[in-house]
Amino acid sequence: MIQPILTAGIEVALWTAIFAGSGQATIGSYPRESYLAYALWAAFFARISSNWMYEFRMIEEIDTGSVNSVLARPISFYEYYLSQFLGYKVITSLISLTVPFILTLFIGVSTYHSRFPAALLLVFFYLVLVHTVSFSIASFAFFFNRIHSLTMAKNIALWLLMGELFPLDLIPEPYRSWVIHLPFSSGVYIPVGYLTGRLGHADLLKAFVSVALGLLVLAPASSALWLAGRKRYSGTGA
Amino acid sequence: MDYAIETNGLTRVYETYKKPEGVWNSIRGFWDRQYERKVALNPTDLKIEGGQIIGLVGGNGAGKTTLLKLLSGLIYPSGGEAKVLGSSPWSRDRNFLRRISILLGQKNQLWWDIPAADSYELLTRIYDLEPIAAKKRVMDLAELLQCRELLQVQLRRLSLGERMKMEIIGSLLHQPAVLFLDEPTIGLDIVAQTNIREFLAEYVKRERPTVILTSHYMDDISMLSDRLLLISKGSIVYDGTVNGFMSKTERMQKLSVKLLKPPEKEIVLSERLTIPAGAEGLSVELPSQEMGSLLHRLMTISPVEQLKIEEANFEDVIRQFLETESRRRQARHPFPT
Repeated sequence: MIQPILTAGIEVALWTAIFAGSGQATIGSYPRESYLAYALWAAFFARISSNWMYEFRMIEEIDTGSVNSVLARPISFYEYYLSQFLGYKVITSLISLTVPFILTLFIGVSTYHSRFPAALLLVFFYLVLVHTVSFSIASFAFFFNRIHSLTMAKNIALWLLMGELFPLDLIPEPYRSWVIHLPFSSGVYIPVGYLTGRLGHADLLKAFVSVALGLLVLAPASSALWLAGRKRYSGTGA
Repeated sequence: MDYAIETNGLTRVYETYKKPEGVWNSIRGFWDRQYERKVALNPTDLKIEGGQIIGLVGGNGAGKTTLLKLLSGLIYPSGGEAKVLGSSPWSRDRNFLRRISILLGQKNQLWWDIPAADSYELLTRIYDLEPIAAKKRVMDLAELLQCRELLQVQLRRLSLGERMKMEIIGSLLHQPAVLFLDEPTIGLDIVAQTNIREFLAEYVKRERPTVILTSHYMDDISMLSDRLLLISKGSIVYDGTVNGFMSKTERMQKLSVKLLKPPEKEIVLSERLTIPAGAEGLSVELPSQEMGSLLHRLMTISPVEQLKIEEANFEDVIRQFLETESRRRQARHPFPT
């Protein structure tokens, strides 16, 4: 809770300073209020969209052999962690999103509160994708040591690709279109852009399709990787 | 005849990456990897009837845990096949996983930060059990293990013996038809070992699951097993009854004695055994049939302050068995072809 509040505070201060310094009323055709609203919501959505903690745990379980206790039970490692992860995120969302929700009701930054359920639904759909990415990365632990460094690299990439750092529409073309059409923009940029009025219903629908396509590509790949890893696995520690 | 467990040429070879010295060789390892191959299980044929209790014994690294991990589907084989309750274990078919259980004595399988009772509720969901019946089963098992009062305590706050009781309840909650027990009493004190041994004896008598049990303690095996498999260097070298195995080994016991006062001159206890002058005591391993006469002689010669008799290390018994077998084979075939 403290981390997104601090991040939001820093981002809001930064955008205020940028607008004051530039002396312009808009940047990239959006006004100051739009950026402040984006900065406020983005910090909290980014907190919900991250998965590094569970990814670390998955890697640790494979590294140490604790995965045995899941393998011996009638549940897959993927769904075992997905259920924990989503359960945790439901609670996190309920608690942390109340802060920007209430704040935006009282301060004058642009937010369409009626769009909140659809934006949140997209984030939860995105969480399935990001979990699948984590599952694939964790599967490398069957082959190599020190997989945590992959998690760090992925986190930095997602920091940019999700739109946590700044709205993705500030990226120059042609990169902007590529990045926005990638499913990772559904973690922050699309839901926050939709919620704050930068984006419309069509963008949201496209994002659902993009995440679904991402899952269609990643799911069989991660499954194959897991299976290959399991065949090498020696049941460490048991 | 339908067997609960059947293997045919089941083999497992572990490949370990040989990490070369130096930075350049490490980089080269990315495209030119050298692997060390270690055969953990040679082609193994096994047939186990339903309801049998198998004691699987062997030294460290003999291959017993590998066999257990293969049969429970934790790892894939390098060759051969296995059927457990009619399923191939590593296919991880859910119906199969609902009917087996593996208890790893050296690994926690319940959740560390929550009370065991909460873990059991989670397991009830995972195994799709009827909640009220599962709760009743937990209470029955806890009653048998005399640990009802511990169900609400965080697992991390329990002693090793108490934790093992909780793990046992967790592994039996879904009434498995096949139970793999890997060192269930390892590291426990004598009282805890006895409690768990007695519980398991009572449980298998009552519910008749097929059990494969590995242990370093001969008492576990002799009290619980109908049949003993001795595994050495990845191969099963003995398959028979526990009594048959014991009759082939000379039962060894370890005697530790502290004398009331050190003897002024050397004490001769037997042809091979003496206590030197000034020694405070002795510690020796010897055949159990020699123990009585030795003790009798010792007591008549010198007053004893402390005396302890322990079963010899099981690893030594196995080593002795393997040596005896090797000598017998050599006697039968003195000239290798």
